This record gives sequence, C-alpha cells and structure tokens, in this order.
Amino acid sequence: MVNVEIVCEPRLEEDKTTVLVVEDEIIIRLMIADTLRAQGITVIEASNGDEALRVLQSSLPVQLLFTDIRMPSELDGLALAQAARAARPGLKLIVASSQPAGHEVAGLADAFFAKPFDLEAVVRRVKSLLAEAHHARDRR
Amino acid sequence: MREIDAEPPKVAGTILVVEDEVLIRLVIAEYLRDCGYRVFEAAHADEALLVLRQSERPIDVVFTDVEMPGSMDGFALAQWVRANRVGTDVILAGSVARAVQAASDLCDQQNSVPKPYDPQTVHDRIRRLLASRGPLKRDLQSAQQQSRSLDGPPS
Repeated sequence: MVNVEIVCEPRLEEDKTTVLVVEDEIIIRLMIADTLRAQGITVIEASNGDEALRVLQSSLPVQLLFTDIRMPSELDGLALAQAARAARPGLKLIVASSQPAGHEVAGLADAFFAKPFDLEAVVRRVKSLLAEAHHARDRR
Repeated sequence: MREIDAEPPKVAGTILVVEDEVLIRLVIAEYLRDCGYRVFEAAHADEALLVLRQSERPIDVVFTDVEMPGSMDGFALAQWVRANRVGTDVILAGSVARAVQAASDLCDQQNSVPKPYDPQTVHDRIRRLLASRGPLKRDLQSAQQQSRSLDGPPS
C-alpha cells in the first residue's frame, strides 16, 4: 500500500476572496464576519484602523476592505482607506458610517452603506465587487 | 464561494479567541476554523466580555492571551469566566509557541475533521507575518496628511 500524504496550506495563503472587515464595535464586526464566512468568503477581522494597517502591511492577500469611518484609533477609516487605495490599487473598498457620505468618501469608495445597514445588501455588494476584482485579475 | 443560500458548515464547538496582536489572532482563528470549530475573535478582554455576556452566543472555550491592553488581562478574564460562565473552558496561552500548541491540541479533539495542516506551518506563518512589512507606511503618511487637510471631522 502506498501512503500518500496530502499537505494542505492555510487557506489565507492562496485565497482569492479575502475581505478585511474593520469595525470597532465587536458585535457588529462579528455579525458581518460571520455572515460573510457563511457565504464561503475568507474574512480577516480588525478592531480598528491600526490593526487593519498591520494586516495591509503584511503579505496577506486582501481583495476587499470593508471599513467603518469613525474608530477610536490613531488611524480613522478614511485615512486607512486612502492609504489602502494608494498601496493596493486593485483593492475594492466599501465604507460604512452612521453619518452621510462626504465628498471625500464618494470619490474614494466603491460603495457606501449608512448605519444601520441591511446585512444582506452588504453581502450582495461584497460578492459583486469580489467578482469584479476576480474578472479584472483574469484580464491581466 | 458557496451559494448564498448554502447551509452553514456543521461545527462541534465554539471558541472565542482573545488576542491583541491581529496577525497572531487571525492565524490561530483561521487554523481553528479549518479544524472545524466556529470561532469568534476579540482584540482584548473588554471585547470578549461583550461577546460572553450575550447569552445567545454560547461559547465552549475561551482561548486567551495573557498580557493584553485594556481593563483586564488574560488571568482576570479567566477568573471572570470561571465565576460567571460555568461550563466554559479557558485556555491561557502566554506565548506564540504555547498558543499554537494549544490550538493543535484543540484540533486533535475535533473528531469530525482531520488536522488540516501541521502546527509548525501555523508557527512559521505567524513568524513570517510578524516579520513582514510592506510599502504602506509611505502611503499612510501621505493619506494622513490628506485626511488632516479635509474639511470637517470624519463621519
């Protein structure tokens, strides 16, 4: 009998559908992350802008950033989004806030959701943006 | 990706991972998910308490770092759990090596799913991620300057 050892790598190494969710309210973050994972999407959770920056500075693949704007960290969601856009040009970006979207958000984000948002609508938008990112990568 | 109406995967337990270093937390959490557990993540003890106080989210195991910022460290969190959540186990992991070993032991207890990859892979991955630094700092400085120049407070 031949023993065949199948060596698996962590999914995050190869995953092409990873979403970084940045939200300081844990119950909201948990609901978003849990819902996206139930759709088979890999989710990285960050509790504030500084944690998200650590993730984006690393070699981890991220296709979409979902971030709240107001967060009690050195880096708010807007500065994080601007930095992420500059560093990762193909990154899809969704911004959420309890305040109306300002002009700076409208010019930066692929989508905006006012809080409280419809989680199903967020999931639909995440999936459509991931599909766009996937097609754009295939064309290259 | 699974279809939107797909059944959620069946899991044999729920673990709350409490760790303030995001790059360690995400790797440990992902490993435990790959082992078949449902995993919640908290960045510090105060977040963990918010999850634990929600009775509709039963937690089987609290997997926590010892040293954490905030009002409580891992020891204090463990004491709170033992006093207020009888039946919830607590695993205290004071180092990356111990965290990986504890996660591997939990994986061994999961009978329905084989261990997805070697714990050494988990350890190597954490070390690699902690060492990695991209070009984002320059972009961040630029973004922060732009953010400061924007009119009005952030929403």
